[in-house]
Amino acid sequence: MININNLSYSVDNIKLFENANIQIPKNKITMLVGPNGVGKTTLLKIIAGIIKPQIGKVSVNNKDLFYLPQRIKYPHGITLQEYIESSFYKQNWKWFLTKEEKDKVNEMLNILELSDKKYTLIDNLSSGELQKANMALGLMSEAHILLLDEPTANMDLINQIKILNMIKKLTQTGITCIIVLHDINLASDYGDYFIGLTRKNEILSGVKKNFISSDVLKKIFGINFKVINNEEDIHIQICN
Amino acid sequence: MNKFRKILIIIVLFLILILSLYLAMYAGYKDFGINMLCKAFNISEDTDSIILTVLRYPRALKALIAGCCLALAGMFMQSVSKNPLAEPYITGISSGAGLGIVLSILFFNSSNYSVFGFIGALLSSAIVIIFSGLSKFSITKLILIGLSINIFVSSLISLIILVNPLKSYMMMLILSGGVTNNEVISNKALIILFMILMFITAFFIPKLNYLRLDSDLLSTDKKRRYFYTLIIIILASLLTSLSVFSAGILGFVGIIAPQISRMLLGQDYRWLFISNILIGSSLILIADYIARTVIYPLQVPLGLVIAFIGAPVFVFFLVKKGDIFSD
Repeated sequence: MININNLSYSVDNIKLFENANIQIPKNKITMLVGPNGVGKTTLLKIIAGIIKPQIGKVSVNNKDLFYLPQRIKYPHGITLQEYIESSFYKQNWKWFLTKEEKDKVNEMLNILELSDKKYTLIDNLSSGELQKANMALGLMSEAHILLLDEPTANMDLINQIKILNMIKKLTQTGITCIIVLHDINLASDYGDYFIGLTRKNEILSGVKKNFISSDVLKKIFGINFKVINNEEDIHIQICN
Repeated sequence: MNKFRKILIIIVLFLILILSLYLAMYAGYKDFGINMLCKAFNISEDTDSIILTVLRYPRALKALIAGCCLALAGMFMQSVSKNPLAEPYITGISSGAGLGIVLSILFFNSSNYSVFGFIGALLSSAIVIIFSGLSKFSITKLILIGLSINIFVSSLISLIILVNPLKSYMMMLILSGGVTNNEVISNKALIILFMILMFITAFFIPKLNYLRLDSDLLSTDKKRRYFYTLIIIILASLLTSLSVFSAGILGFVGIIAPQISRMLLGQDYRWLFISNILIGSSLILIADYIARTVIYPLQVPLGLVIAFIGAPVFVFFLVKKGDIFSD
């Protein structure tokens, strides 16, 4: 459980959060939705501990966090495999990776269907493939909390679903995910818990059943939605 | 790029190093054949042996150490700052060393100027690192503070040189760098310091492979990242100071050796470690060979020769393989 109490944060005198209290459940996928510039990324960064809240307190049970930022700079002249291996040099004083670590990298490349690009320079990969490589870093970091800022941006539809399926599986093994996602339909399909930020600094949250409704969505985005709920699937249509 | 090609490149670089070692030790005005190699380890009293053991070997050793240190320090600074323009002297070392050298000539008139250069280099980099860490540490701040200190102290050096016309030629000559200074005691200290530093460096090389990831991706691991970065900057300063100790201030090697290595081998720092050692030391050894032979019996300052051969070589590589630099 991640508890954020009494959070206030403003950037250049624009208030993003004011006395906000947010609870994020453990071992679930929490979807963070809202229009641009309402502070979704800021909230992720506050949880990750990258920026400190001006007022308020964040309590995170487990300090093993992985934060996937929106924009990433890549080193030149290394292969995809080497890129993913980079994170293993974090601890210890070794010059070479162990057999298990190499296997782990290969397994991850298999899962993400990147095996055939193993020896491709990362300068030559597409942005979707790079994003998958970054996800691999997150999945292998053994972090218990993944904070993903638009992890499926630049991915094709199939890859988006694959990644989200994988994240879903992870939450069953005791990993908590907080994801910023703009595709509201995908968010509602995969999310267990939802947090919506509005332009008026309101914070709406709840489980799927309560959250995905035209009232709540209208409050967040300011436009009308039509929510079709037939027991199993939820479809959200924008009515303009 | 496959492993085989990398190994091949390392072998070629290694052969170039062997060739430059041969040039540095056995070629020149007094030319020694290969058969001198056998004689080399027998201490005898003839002039040939004296030329070798007193002049050529220490000189080659200093060139080798300076090359290794500068190339590795340059690699360190470029990797932690993620800026291809970063160079070893960026932490104010060149000017600090220069001030040490100039002051030692001014006040002590001693031949031990390299020790003073070493102390000056250590002091100035310590000052720059401490200043950049006083409030929130950042690499960009470190570079800018280093730049300011460099400009400030360089002006001071120019002032000292201008108001001391009698010693100004000596000062200018030594400031342009070289491996001619002969002190038997400092040679031993040099080797020991070099061994210790290389040992520590080897430990931290794989960490550069971790730090090459985007700093935002590592942001939840801030403390560790800062710790490694700081250690690497300190190591770079120590290496550069040691290069000042052995060969004075030599610009350019610290930029081009790491860059050429990267163009040849990519960005796996374990490979770059080896290739930087090979390229850096070959470059200075060859430059020193040219410096003492091209207008014999006069010697061209080593720093100038490095610039004369370094710049064309660097431009050649940039034209041929410079496509890794995309903005």
